[in-house]
Amino acid sequence: MTADLANATAAKEDGLYVYCVARGDGNRLLGSIGLGGQVVYTVGSGDIRAVVHNCQAEPYQSQDPQVVQDWVVAHQNVVLAAAEAFGTVLPMAFDMIVRGSPGGGAVAALRDWLDERRDRFTRLLDRLAGKAEYGVQVLWDREGIAASLVQSDDELRGIQDEARSKPKGLAHLLQQKLTKAVRAAMEKQADLFAQDFYARIRRCVEDVRVDKLKKVDGGKQMLLNLSCLMQQGSGELGRVLDDLQQTKGISVRFTGPWPPYSFVGG
Amino acid sequence: MEPELPKAYHRATLVDLLDRVLDKGLFLRADLVISLAGIPLIGATLSVAVAGTETMLKYGILSDWDEAIRAVPPEQRRLLRQQRPNELPLGSHAGIAETV
Repeated sequence: MTADLANATAAKEDGLYVYCVARGDGNRLLGSIGLGGQVVYTVGSGDIRAVVHNCQAEPYQSQDPQVVQDWVVAHQNVVLAAAEAFGTVLPMAFDMIVRGSPGGGAVAALRDWLDERRDRFTRLLDRLAGKAEYGVQVLWDREGIAASLVQSDDELRGIQDEARSKPKGLAHLLQQKLTKAVRAAMEKQADLFAQDFYARIRRCVEDVRVDKLKKVDGGKQMLLNLSCLMQQGSGELGRVLDDLQQTKGISVRFTGPWPPYSFVGG
Repeated sequence: MEPELPKAYHRATLVDLLDRVLDKGLFLRADLVISLAGIPLIGATLSVAVAGTETMLKYGILSDWDEAIRAVPPEQRRLLRQQRPNELPLGSHAGIAETV
């Protein structure tokens, strides 16, 4: 151990903020790249190690959104730096801090945890090697699709035409009927799209996690929110997504490569 | 980075990052994790984060602590979620090579 490393890792506080788990033994210093510029290094046990910095045994919290945002970005950047240095990593969630137990310090507690999970971590590291996570969100333009549904469906168009030719009161009733019918048709269409798109995406990736649908701005609605695991640099998913976007009213948000946050649990 | 980016490719936003960093990733065992003001964070989280609750129920809260415990204070989550999505300066992690 170099003097620098010994100095940086001397436990002045009783907590360890953990960024990720990776393969490899021995201590390595990654530099002052942690939350708030903290010195990041590794704590090893056998052939796996955790990437950490020393901190107090209390959670990071702030009322200032900018501060918190900087922390989250720093967390992510340390995970990326670790992946560059050590290959495949198992990223931790934000603000995971190991505390020392009465029987020993935080380092001992962390090593215990690594030992206890060694088999599982090793399996995960093998499984995730060379792969990355990609975010896929399929959105549709609700208004636009509703309008084109009415145009293409004889029954719906019939109601609309009838509503236009009737006096106000009756027209209002017909309009309500139309709204209801369009909503039902939209739901059906959404299901069809979601099933079809999911199947097409699933075929070209290694694994998928289905995430909660999110609210989106601009009259769009989310149909599918997926995290996909696949070989890094594989172009197939991109081609499938570009293909999906050819569907009228459909757009896709594709992000990544991400560290495999969605594929380390379960 | 992909050799050829599909047209669907978007730059990640803060929200994309938060969805992963806050809700996913590895969790620590209950006895290792830090609690907030003496309250284990799992208790506070259960009462606040519906999404978290669902995840915990799915995994079985008491049978698999490792997957279920969230150590992000609820207040912190709320703060983060209020933010508007920004472009993120991801991938800037210089300084690693010369210090190793």
